Amino acid sequence: MSWRAELLAVWAVVVRNALMASRNVFFFFELLFWPIVGVLSIGLMTRFLHLTPEQASFVLIGTIALSVVNVCQLEVAYAVLLDVWSKSLKHQFLAPIGIRHLTLGSWLVGMARGGALFLLLAALGWWAFDFRVLAPGWLPVAVFVLGCFLNAWIVGVFVCALITLFGNRAEAFAWASVNLVLVLAGLYYPVSVLPEPVATVAAAIPLTYFLDAYRAHFGFAPEFRAPIAAGLALSAVYAALAHWCFFAALQRARRTGLLLKMSE
Amino acid sequence: MLAIDARDVTKTFKSGWFRPTRTAALRGVSLTVPRGAIVGLLGPNGAGKTTLLSILATLLTPDSGSVTVLGHDVARDAARLRRRLNMASGRPSFLWSLRVGEIIGFYGRLYGLSGRQLRRRVDELIELCELSAHRRTPYSELSTGLKQRVALAKSLVNDPELLFLDEPTLGLDPDVSVRVRRHIADLRRERGMTIVLTTHYMREADELCDEIAFIKAGAILARGTPGELKRQIRLGDVIALRLDPPAVPWLAETPGVLRCAEVAGWIECTVDDAEKRLPDLLRALHAEGVVVRNIRVREPELEEVFVELAR
Ligand SMILES: Nc1ncnc2c1ncn2[C@@H]1O[C@H](COP(=O)(O)OP(=O)(O)OP(=O)(O)O)[C@@H](O)[C@H]1O
Ligand SMILES: [Mg+2]
Repeated sequence: MSWRAELLAVWAVVVRNALMASRNVFFFFELLFWPIVGVLSIGLMTRFLHLTPEQASFVLIGTIALSVVNVCQLEVAYAVLLDVWSKSLKHQFLAPIGIRHLTLGSWLVGMARGGALFLLLAALGWWAFDFRVLAPGWLPVAVFVLGCFLNAWIVGVFVCALITLFGNRAEAFAWASVNLVLVLAGLYYPVSVLPEPVATVAAAIPLTYFLDAYRAHFGFAPEFRAPIAAGLALSAVYAALAHWCFFAALQRARRTGLLLKMSE
Repeated sequence: MLAIDARDVTKTFKSGWFRPTRTAALRGVSLTVPRGAIVGLLGPNGAGKTTLLSILATLLTPDSGSVTVLGHDVARDAARLRRRLNMASGRPSFLWSLRVGEIIGFYGRLYGLSGRQLRRRVDELIELCELSAHRRTPYSELSTGLKQRVALAKSLVNDPELLFLDEPTLGLDPDVSVRVRRHIADLRRERGMTIVLTTHYMREADELCDEIAFIKAGAILARGTPGELKRQIRLGDVIALRLDPPAVPWLAETPGVLRCAEVAGWIECTVDDAEKRLPDLLRALHAEGVVVRNIRVREPELEEVFVELAR
């Protein structure tokens, strides 16, 4: 495929997902309601418990990261979910495109949504709790947000793979299993408080490293050496693995006929 | 030059994880389609027509056999093949909240169109498929016929050399069906497109198709032009008579008459060859003093061939 065709196929997915997002009445709820509720309730809880400003930022960073990852990963999963819901999956796989175009296109839209949400929650945290998420400066912020996006991409692509493998009945299972992993990433606590086997799992999740690196700017001693490099390397490995799984699942769906069953 | 060369294709579906049930959808199907032809797949429900189309369109991997489409092996060269073919079905589904123009635009981009070229293509297809009034209507608000036209427009977005149509006129009113059929015939005439379609409407197959392959239980039972099939099955011609007195019991025993039946006041005699038997029949009736009030001679219809083959 030429570069132009590559970009066009990705752009096609960007336009479609953006159009669908703009049509969805619940879009604003999805994007705003729960994240805002999350930040407000966690923020109030930190006040009630009389946490130090450092401790409060520790927890709030986790809340914001979770919201951003959630919004972005949902959008990535839309690469197949939208078509699964409307039973039109076969058409996009009849076209001469690869899964990379689907996952990249939907990731771009996911990043736009996630980025907007991040800024909004940061502003909310500042206004309501005097919490300065953006204080470390634009580079650490950019790296942290990139970490969230990479994590969301990986999770979203794994969800695509699971749905392509098991059909839309697997949707709930797919979300549950990938979110379980997220909870272990040390969102609200340092990884060191986790019992040994769980800590090992947490250490295998890229988001853990990006949270660790970012929290260092708020005065917490890093738990890992070179967390950013480790996070990026782990992300690269998982992204490759997730895409391989999605590809294999699609091959299997073509073999079993599931691709046809998920379309009219 | 062949557009499709499929040999000994088999496909068995397994469903259920625990003790799976197996359905043999195709049992060694071979099919060749010359470039520029319109070929129809006929057969009862569950015969394997959609399965075969899906394999030819790279949506389904066959269990065994070899499939070459437009010179590409479907197993090894699917990516390049996909640029050159497309497919539409009579029960289409697209993203519900997208509008007609957006749906065609989305697939246009997937096939590498952009900018002015894309806009022109979308306009052209909307015009061709008579969707101008519905360009901005969300897909979920379209009627069955309009949805099918969107599917047809989408399937032409890459100007395919080979087009698969799975029951393209399913559920359409006669007026719209006639227009869709005319479109299909035009596509072949004007663009030299090769078209493989499935249908349950015999008129459609008779009118559109150069050749028909009859599939039953995953195997091709008969193949030929509609005329050849009628002869091959040897259904004979039908001589319908309105007689006075209306019932003539000995008619069925006349030489050359295969069977007789009364249908709405007419006696329908199926004979091996109408031209050969009609004079004898009239002579015999005249000799017995039976008055022939009206007479109609027709070839068997494809539907009767279908019923015979499906039995
Ligand atoms: N995706 C699938 N998974 C499991 N079984 C399938 C699948 N698709 C088709 N089958 C089975 O394979 C057989 C052939 O089905 P197919 O859809 O090809 O028939 P058809 O000739 O198109 O029938 P119809 O005229 O009703 O459309 C049927 O028994 C059907 O139940
Ligand atoms: Mg069918």
